Amino acid sequence: MTNYKLTDADFKQINKRSLFGFQLGWNYERMQGSGYLYTILPQLRKIYGDGTPELKEMMKTHAQFFNTSNFFNTIITGIDLAIEEKDGIAGKDAVSGIKAGLMGPFAAIGDSIFASLVPAIFGALAATMARNNNPVGIFIWIIAQILIMVFRWVQLKFAYKQGVELVTTMQDQLNAITDAASLLGVFMVGAMVASMINIKIAYTPNIGGVATSIQNILDTILPGLVPAALVGFVYWILGKKGMTSTKAIWLVLILCVILSALGIIGKAH
Amino acid sequence: MQWWQILILTIYAGYEILDELQIYSSLSSPVAAGLISGIVMGDVKTGLFIGGSMQLTVLGVGTFGGASRIDATTGTILATAFAASIGMKPELAISTLAVPVASLMVQLDVLARFANTYFAHRIDKNIENFDYKAIERNFLMGAGPWALSRAIPVFLALAFGGNLVKTVVDWLNTDVKWLADGLSVAGAALPAVGFAILLRYLPVKQHFPYLILGFVLTTLLSTVFTNVQTLGTGLAAADKKFAGTFNSLPMLAIALIGLALALISYSQHRSGGSSKPSSSSSNSNTVDDSNEEEIEDDEL
Repeated sequence: MTNYKLTDADFKQINKRSLFGFQLGWNYERMQGSGYLYTILPQLRKIYGDGTPELKEMMKTHAQFFNTSNFFNTIITGIDLAIEEKDGIAGKDAVSGIKAGLMGPFAAIGDSIFASLVPAIFGALAATMARNNNPVGIFIWIIAQILIMVFRWVQLKFAYKQGVELVTTMQDQLNAITDAASLLGVFMVGAMVASMINIKIAYTPNIGGVATSIQNILDTILPGLVPAALVGFVYWILGKKGMTSTKAIWLVLILCVILSALGIIGKAH
Repeated sequence: MQWWQILILTIYAGYEILDELQIYSSLSSPVAAGLISGIVMGDVKTGLFIGGSMQLTVLGVGTFGGASRIDATTGTILATAFAASIGMKPELAISTLAVPVASLMVQLDVLARFANTYFAHRIDKNIENFDYKAIERNFLMGAGPWALSRAIPVFLALAFGGNLVKTVVDWLNTDVKWLADGLSVAGAALPAVGFAILLRYLPVKQHFPYLILGFVLTTLLSTVFTNVQTLGTGLAAADKKFAGTFNSLPMLAIALIGLALALISYSQHRSGGSSKPSSSSSNSNTVDDSNEEEIEDDEL
């Protein structure tokens, strides 16, 4: 124990290691365990001193199972280091408890916001524009991700200063953001169902000697009914037991080939 | 396909997974893969279309707790490369190449995650010996299995798969035209899966009115825009004096309406946060507005 105080250079080093190296060692047994150790190894050496039994003990502790959102991991690191810097090896149990207690909630929040909602919203925008031969949406998404990288960079020092009480103050704010973002997500799905699924009913039966377009009749009720029905159907089968997204993709693929071969559906435009 | 095209696409395939694990610049997304492969292959339009379609197909597929997911990015790289070099229809490339490749690649993702367990055990030994350099080395070596799990299959497919793909495509376009047509329809329908997965994940019951709003606004406006476009183009062809440009519905405008609704909800959520029926924060439900403000000030 050397009574070492973390400096801005330390934060910079941890952030660099987190941003460019946190998940390289991801594996089934410990997941991000070795990544957690790697990001704070230089600081552990400064806090406990090279070759001490305390250092070995803490290196072992930090190499254990760990898995959280890679967009929030340095919040946990910041809180952890604030404790270790103050209490040293005596804080070991507190640190293990905080890591185990916080990794689940932060994984849930981080996965919903940064691994699902952000890619869904910006991916949808970029994809829609790309299909119209316009790459601008891709660059908008990259800019958004750069802003998120800044957010990932500043949170470490913030968490280090705030300590444990940070988690409760953040909760409400994050709830409001998640709620608003998921509203936008639902709205955009509605918009994309109406515009991105280019299939129609190709079946034109002869009714009273006149070829009748089923699609035209459907369009007078509400345009976009066929895509909406398809999404509703896939939504329903996804709720069935044992159904995965990959299975659903194959099911739709095979179903479309059969219905198209029978002349029931075709491509719109 | 030129050797340098194979080389760049192989390097990109190895890089994209590392990007996704680390900085997450979104260059690992299917739509970005479409743009990059399109530029390399000299056919940006095809790349953007395939990438955009694959992006929509996996829209709701996020990574949760480190589970492997369908690899639409690698699928996009191969589909774009072959579509551009053989002259396949993009929709056909999506269902015959992008989707099968994307789901096969899940196995290799699993393999990479297994391989890295080996390095984790070496780190355990290094800790015992206080070998700090080796800890860091064995950690960074994890990048190897990750990158190779994408780069090797892409290289093999691009270098040796061309003739096979060409034979299959020729067969599809002549002997079994019905199958090729069906696969194209499937390519056009696949985004439906992405939307449905996303709805499964989002709190759709809570926000159902916004689903209706987004759908109806867009379906009505796109009908109007398409009809005006058809009308205008027809008139311009009939009468040379009739000039003007007619665009399709800009999706950014629809997205901005959604953003406005989300911002309204956010500000209401914050100011009326104490009245929401949330069990997790029930102990703070009684605090008045001034107290709420205080918490936010601390945050900023």
